Amino acid sequence: MAARMKLKLKTVFVLYFMVSLMGLVYALMQLGQRCDCTEHDLPKERTISRLRGELHRLQEQMRKSEATKQPQKQPAKPSLPTIFVITPTYARLVQKAELTRLSQTLLHVPQLHWILVEDSPHKTPLVTDFLAKSGLSYTHLHTPTPKDRKLQEGDPSWLKPRGAEQRNEGLRWLREDRRAQQGADSQQGVVYFADDDNTYSLQLFEEMRNTQRVSVWPVGLVGGMRYERPVVEGGKVVRFHTGWRPSRPFPLDMAGFAVSLRLVLDNQDACFDGDAPMGFLESSFLQGLVTMDELEPKADNCSKVLVWHTRTEKPKMKREEALQAQGLGSDTAVEV
Amino acid sequence: MPKRRDILAIVLIVLPWTLLITVWHQSAITPLLATRKGEKLYTDLLCKRPAGPLVETSNRDIVEVVRTEYVYSRPPPWSDVLPTIHVITPTYSRPVQKAELTRLANTFLHVPNLHWILVEDSQRRTSLVSHLLQDTGLNYTHLNVETPRNYKVRGDTRDPRIPRGTMQRNLALRWLRETFSVNNSQPGIVYFADDDNTYSLELFEEMRSTRKVSVWPVAFVGGLRYESPKVNTQGKVYGWKTVFDPHRPFAIDMAGFAVNLRLILYKPQAYFKLRGVKGGYQESSLLKELVTLNDLEPKAANCTKILVWHTRTEKPVLVNEGKKGFTDSNVEI
Repeated sequence: MAARMKLKLKTVFVLYFMVSLMGLVYALMQLGQRCDCTEHDLPKERTISRLRGELHRLQEQMRKSEATKQPQKQPAKPSLPTIFVITPTYARLVQKAELTRLSQTLLHVPQLHWILVEDSPHKTPLVTDFLAKSGLSYTHLHTPTPKDRKLQEGDPSWLKPRGAEQRNEGLRWLREDRRAQQGADSQQGVVYFADDDNTYSLQLFEEMRNTQRVSVWPVGLVGGMRYERPVVEGGKVVRFHTGWRPSRPFPLDMAGFAVSLRLVLDNQDACFDGDAPMGFLESSFLQGLVTMDELEPKADNCSKVLVWHTRTEKPKMKREEALQAQGLGSDTAVEV
Repeated sequence: MPKRRDILAIVLIVLPWTLLITVWHQSAITPLLATRKGEKLYTDLLCKRPAGPLVETSNRDIVEVVRTEYVYSRPPPWSDVLPTIHVITPTYSRPVQKAELTRLANTFLHVPNLHWILVEDSQRRTSLVSHLLQDTGLNYTHLNVETPRNYKVRGDTRDPRIPRGTMQRNLALRWLRETFSVNNSQPGIVYFADDDNTYSLELFEEMRSTRKVSVWPVAFVGGLRYESPKVNTQGKVYGWKTVFDPHRPFAIDMAGFAVNLRLILYKPQAYFKLRGVKGGYQESSLLKELVTLNDLEPKAANCTKILVWHTRTEKPVLVNEGKKGFTDSNVEI
């Protein structure tokens, strides 16, 4: 009986051992694979793994749907040419209002970089704070206009060319910045000179985006007329329709043309001549860059007005000045 | 001998089980460790991000992409939760009209749940405005009413005895009362926005929480840097910080207040007074029918921030057009 029992026990033991061994091997194989251990998961872990799956899915979706990026990001992706908008600005009562509504327009334009140049010996807190909150991709520069070129109080606005130094500073920064950039995409783009009191339609920016050399279009409410425009025949600019000094090399307004970045970088010396006679500022820049038949007409062969040379009235401050004389002026800590 | 065999047997039984248990325990822990890393990404992605300054996170790519998506969808998708802002803008034909409406539309395209009620001062709705409104993609209502000639401003000067835009604003109020019933619980805010002013985006969010009538400072009015309501320490309006007639019931500019739609509907007799209104009293003529000084809600950080500017656009000098018009009149400006 002892022998039989021993036999039984031995086989039991062997059997038991084999089963355990097989179970161990099975478990080791399971270790390498994804765990479907729902019985062991706490509800929190379950939520977490579900959310992780959703997160991965959303990230994939975003990567697919994103159309644009700021410059200098992901150079390998084919992106829209960047529009570099150079805006000179100077401190006056309506400055913040003008910059606010200009930024609201620019915010709609994809792949746009705003180069705001203050006419000031240093960066002002108003513009610094404003740009930080604007949500735009920007560069904040400053350069003061020399006193003899500056408009004095009471001078009519057309007396001296305004903004030449600031636009040149914008060009200088742009050339320097692009020199440091790598990749073919960084040399692609358009440069547009936008004053802070004009009005721009969104379509204008799309028209200028693919400029190869210099593109042109009509400008509303300028030159003492409803609009000024290049006259296009056979797809080429043959002359300019303007009421004022049409004999200028380029009788168009600052807001009426855009230059390809390539052209700006290839002509390192092209800039605005602050001493140019009235109305010749644009010509001083464009003369060395392009000839009239090379101009690319936009806006439906220059038949649509997509930008207006609006000007903002100077607000009447008579009561404010009277109060200030009494020492009761409005709180200067409140930024206007 | 039997002792050794027994020990061997026990070891052979226990060993595989301990190994098995260890293995199961390990595989239960590793998924937990993996999720901890993913949790951080998840919170980065879905945490509340204000429209303005961005929260700095470690994963900059996601932040940039989300910001891009917000900025470039226009107008923003309609929300079922936000009260609608009904912006009433009177407008009239002049050379800068299209420019003004264009840049105003560019501003409004950033504001969610905005309904633009544009009222032309004209005999019939012009194609310039109709096409402009269609092209923007905004939610709009296009109305028109012509101010009779003796009420219109004569020449260039702004004659304060004849309020401009009054009939147009009243028409819009009437349209609102005809379209929305008092019992309808659709929350809304009514704001009178002239087409040449400048509005910050923050302003619209400030006015969205108006319960009756909210007020805030306006720049460049009344011959001052800004005019503003006077607010006491309890957060109530008790006066007006203006030089021009501060004893008006409501010494505030059209751009300086917003009214809850419900209040407009509850008081159907409240309109802007058309005749015999003294200069600067137009706003009071409406507000005194709607609310008392005590009920006013100060916004913009207790009326210390400027969020709207009463800018005016220069009249362009069209000297070179001459008598017959130099430019092609078919080209719309």
